[in-house]
Amino acid sequence: MPIDPITVEVIKGALTYATEEMGIALRNSAYSPNIKERMDFSCTIFDHKKRLAAQAEHIPVHLGSMQLAVQKGLEKFKGKIEDGDMILFNDPYISGTHLPDLTLICPIFYEGKIIAYSANKAHHSDVGGKAPGSMAGDATEIYQEGIIVPPVRFVKKNVIDKEIASILLSNIRTPEIRLGDLRAQMAANLLGKRRILELVDRYGIETLHKATEEIMDYSEKRMRIEIGKMPKGSYSAEDYLENTGTSNKKVKIKVTITVKKNQLLIDYTGTDEQVNGPVNAVLGVTLSGVYYVLRCLTDPSIPMNEGCYRPVKVHVPKSTLMNPTPPAPVAGGNVETSQRNVDVLLKAFAQILPEKVCAACQGTMNNIAVGGINPENGKPWTFYETIAGGFGGRKGIDGVDAVHSHMTNTMNTPIEAIEAIYPIRFLEYELRKDGGGPGKWRGGVGLERSWMLLAPSATLSVLAERTKIPPWGLYGGKPGAKGEYYVIKPNGKRVKLRSKCTIRMGKADIFLVRTPGGGGYGNPLERYPELVHRDVLDEMVSLEAAKKDYGLVINSARMEINWKSTKQLRLTKSKI
Amino acid sequence: MVKYRVSIDIGGTFTDLVALNEESGEILNIKVPSTPREPAKAVIRTFREFLRKTSDAEVSVIIHATTIATNALLGQLNLELPKTALITTKGFRDIIEIGRQRRHELYNLFIQEPRTLIPRRLRFGVEERIGPKGEILTPLNKTQVKSLVQQLGRENIKTVAVALLFSYINPKHEREIGEMLKKSLPKIYVSLSSEIAPEYREYERTSTAVVNAVLTPIVSSYLNDLQRKIRRLGVKAPLCVMQSDGGIATKSIVSKKPVSMVESGPAAGVIASAFYGKLLGIGNILSFDMGGTTAKAGAIKEATPEVVSEYEVAGKVHSGRIVKGSGYPVRHPFIDLAECSAGGGTIAWVDEGKALQVGPISAGAEPGPACYGKGGKQPTVTDANVVLGRLNPRYVLGGEMKIYPELSEKAISKEICEKIRLELTEAAAGIIKIANSAMAKILRIVSVERGHDPRDFVLMCFGGAGPMHGCALAEELKITEIIVPNNPGLFSAYGLLAADFRNNLIKAVMKLMDEVNVKKIEAVFQRLELKGAKLLEKQHVPKVNMRFIRQMDLRYFGQSYELTIPTSKPLTKEVLKQAVESFHKKHMAIYGYAVKDELVELVNVKLVAVGLIEKPKLKEQPLHREKPPKEAITAKRKVFFEQNNDYNETPIYRREKLKIGNVINGPAVIEQYDATTVVYPDWMASVDRYGNIILSLRNRGN
Repeated sequence: MPIDPITVEVIKGALTYATEEMGIALRNSAYSPNIKERMDFSCTIFDHKKRLAAQAEHIPVHLGSMQLAVQKGLEKFKGKIEDGDMILFNDPYISGTHLPDLTLICPIFYEGKIIAYSANKAHHSDVGGKAPGSMAGDATEIYQEGIIVPPVRFVKKNVIDKEIASILLSNIRTPEIRLGDLRAQMAANLLGKRRILELVDRYGIETLHKATEEIMDYSEKRMRIEIGKMPKGSYSAEDYLENTGTSNKKVKIKVTITVKKNQLLIDYTGTDEQVNGPVNAVLGVTLSGVYYVLRCLTDPSIPMNEGCYRPVKVHVPKSTLMNPTPPAPVAGGNVETSQRNVDVLLKAFAQILPEKVCAACQGTMNNIAVGGINPENGKPWTFYETIAGGFGGRKGIDGVDAVHSHMTNTMNTPIEAIEAIYPIRFLEYELRKDGGGPGKWRGGVGLERSWMLLAPSATLSVLAERTKIPPWGLYGGKPGAKGEYYVIKPNGKRVKLRSKCTIRMGKADIFLVRTPGGGGYGNPLERYPELVHRDVLDEMVSLEAAKKDYGLVINSARMEINWKSTKQLRLTKSKI
Repeated sequence: MVKYRVSIDIGGTFTDLVALNEESGEILNIKVPSTPREPAKAVIRTFREFLRKTSDAEVSVIIHATTIATNALLGQLNLELPKTALITTKGFRDIIEIGRQRRHELYNLFIQEPRTLIPRRLRFGVEERIGPKGEILTPLNKTQVKSLVQQLGRENIKTVAVALLFSYINPKHEREIGEMLKKSLPKIYVSLSSEIAPEYREYERTSTAVVNAVLTPIVSSYLNDLQRKIRRLGVKAPLCVMQSDGGIATKSIVSKKPVSMVESGPAAGVIASAFYGKLLGIGNILSFDMGGTTAKAGAIKEATPEVVSEYEVAGKVHSGRIVKGSGYPVRHPFIDLAECSAGGGTIAWVDEGKALQVGPISAGAEPGPACYGKGGKQPTVTDANVVLGRLNPRYVLGGEMKIYPELSEKAISKEICEKIRLELTEAAAGIIKIANSAMAKILRIVSVERGHDPRDFVLMCFGGAGPMHGCALAEELKITEIIVPNNPGLFSAYGLLAADFRNNLIKAVMKLMDEVNVKKIEAVFQRLELKGAKLLEKQHVPKVNMRFIRQMDLRYFGQSYELTIPTSKPLTKEVLKQAVESFHKKHMAIYGYAVKDELVELVNVKLVAVGLIEKPKLKEQPLHREKPPKEAITAKRKVFFEQNNDYNETPIYRREKLKIGNVINGPAVIEQYDATTVVYPDWMASVDRYGNIILSLRNRGN
């Protein structure tokens, strides 16, 4: 018997709400700021055939990896999972993201049979390995990046297996926090389980299965309609990572998108081979970029589930940067390569949907980790943050200034919270003048952020990108400013840092970051003079840059536009 | 002379004056169309009308709810923002623009930030620096401030926000700047972050000070003008304003701290529910208000409305929750509300994937639902209720509004049935079901998500459309009792008429509870009490009516969210211990765990200075028999109920004709001037001594 569309609609809402509620439970009961405040996690419900049924809008980098994780992670347990078990793992080659993301899956039983799964993944701020924070910028193999947990029954009969927990926690810095966060992940899954069983009580198992099937078909149908609106053809693009962390060689990502009737083929043939630095992106990360871009370019109100994947075929050759094989290190694949992947995909889509794509955003997350021994209490300290930059210009609007883009969206920590705990003092946190790529629609500017070390010494790690190859502009727009990292010694000497490095800092050393800007959109000589003038008054664009990049002449005494000279200058410039 | 307490609520469509006769408890309502460009105009009209209707009225107090603050921030209604400047620590003038560095929508390449309230060129860094312990690292450069003050004068700045790093611990530099500003530019408005929101987190504190600075000139001139005009009519009563926390304050206090009244209107319904709860002896209430365009839910736990300490002013709402980063954060107590676009006028439609959707677009007052016959072609929730026989098929509003059921049928057939294969009834029932599931979600947000079990609550249903959906929502949430107050359409006004004075005071402490010096903290509480008493005195609250509620914001050391814990007077070691105990308990209830051996940190000391007002009296009436009088049944018609999946011949009652004590077994429909109550088959309605309808779930056969 077919089921009525109203029930499908109500169950659709209930499944999505269950994943949102799981997220709230996880965030609220977690302990570490990474989960609590930065909300670096994802919650999902799967059907009995291990197909994604619902996923809450959490962090984009997990979008494509959950289905892989659930299907691969449960392979070895065929028939051997019982009610009350939960499976834990973080092996990137199974889970689809880097080691710090711990995946926990809970089978949901009804009358002795598995009818669904609740599952979540959360980024723990440490899983061991050679560097605090488990994000070493110079790892050459995955064993240096932290403890590898294969799929294990971490929870049996609703109780955490103490022996497995002790192996895990013995390999991790700050074990108390990690266990608290794992309990929060468990609580989230149990809530998802309860909500599914409530649905079964209300509608019956048959109706729930049928409705889930229809919800997936619905998403598939809507994705196909959206793809059907794109012009058919084949479109390629490439972009580069500037180095690998272990060598200065740049690495190419190439993608070819073929639009067929109601179907997309995405092919990464031409991408460079995997490298021995930590920038390899496991397949789950690569797929996440694909689904992120598709959600942005179609309709984000389409419910996220397996149906969304059906019209998209992705081919990523094995042993390449975007689909590496063990033991390639992968920690930076999540945070840096994932951003470049989006840049490449958007560059290709710019040929398909030129008015729906933005110019390149900052293209990095600017991962900064610093730590040492706090002289005030003799205890070790670690502070990790990611820093916003410029968003690319768009048709009709400038890029957003100083904001996180694409695959990340984590919050900053208040300066008043950092200084109260860590031995650092902030000197500056401002927008970066002339940082945005010039364009008819300007790229967003990045940030200038600097602080002084108050402790006698500390270790600083930088994992970033776009210090050599700037974020590109579109349709005549110019690139955004490149990223810059410095240590300024007490004697005033500036040391320029590489985008992936680990160094020692001394007392009163100053660390200064200038994050990249977004690329511009359209010819800067066509930018409305009033907008350039406004940017000059707001010190977002200097007088010199106004003249050089935008052909705008401003009378520096009265700060007014000289219309006549501007017209002439723009004319001359446009002929070059 | 008859004494009246008067409330004025300016809504998007109507401006309502509700006057309460303080002796008899009777209420009088005057409704005129709002005048958005000049809100005071409609208010004056309602007053004229009121004075005409009551020859010997003496107004004791006027309580006003207004959306002027939000409208100004949204850039609506030609409300131009005053020229505002911001003074910060040198190197940090962009904190206000960088915010928390997140974007408020993940999958939108065309995302835009809310417009910056102060352009960068009017944000100035001054040389000074205070450290995390309140120590002065760099003294304030007064020469620089002096020349800056002159520049602000030249630039014709109207209002200034001052927000320096760590000023919540040491406000010295902010105060010095404030004094220099006031001395040289006596007409300028000054908002110091250390006075407006003395809490840690530089972005949120700065944002609160900036919003306050921008609003001060707008709100004070609006309120002055309104009072002048009302006085001209001979009404000399003091003018009070409803604040976002559900308390009132006089005009002069709100004018200085307008940030306290940005969400002035929506709180009223929750306060009204709390007031009724007290009267009826019910402590736990879910307040549900459904009007023409939106539905709002709030929770009252143990007779106290739930509040949150931060709100995103002029922000967007996504599936019930306000989206962080979409508006301007303000630190101040706000009544906790969840909202969704489901009202009588919300439009139902079929999307590209052939799924039935309800909202978020509303048909508004013009053209309104199809059945109004004013040209609306899109089917709405109201149209579905007409098709299902729940709404009177001939007229509503006592005959003032004619209903054309055939237009409802046509709209649903054409827009829904023809696009997805559904019968008319199925489609109408589907619209209601989908709207109900969205509304059940907002009720869950304020209960389940906050650690409360809805089964422990009574549902208060009001607003024009609320009582029609009460039974369905209660069944969804497993609630067994519903109250439909006397005048569901005017119910929110009771919130204005029954609200106490409230002033919120706060002092940041940031100390581990183990290390707290009891004497010092007691002294902080006492200083706040003194301040609070002064504020209440200014508002003519007599000493006997003053109450001081002490609270502490606590968290586990290292966490970034605090919980507010009530505490008692005087502070002793024992009281501190109890506070920690309650904190563990609350943490357990909300977050599902507590860590007894973890260090607990005292973040803020808070004081609510309350000035009690005399509560309105409701008319009590003598009991009649259970059986309703014959004339109360005005008709029978076919009404659809999901339980039977069919139409049932259902008696229609006139609410005005029902007597106290009458009992009606569902299914039934009870109609009144401004609302319709639908009694589901398993429910029983009874009229209490105040005339409220109490709906209770009868024991089901199974």
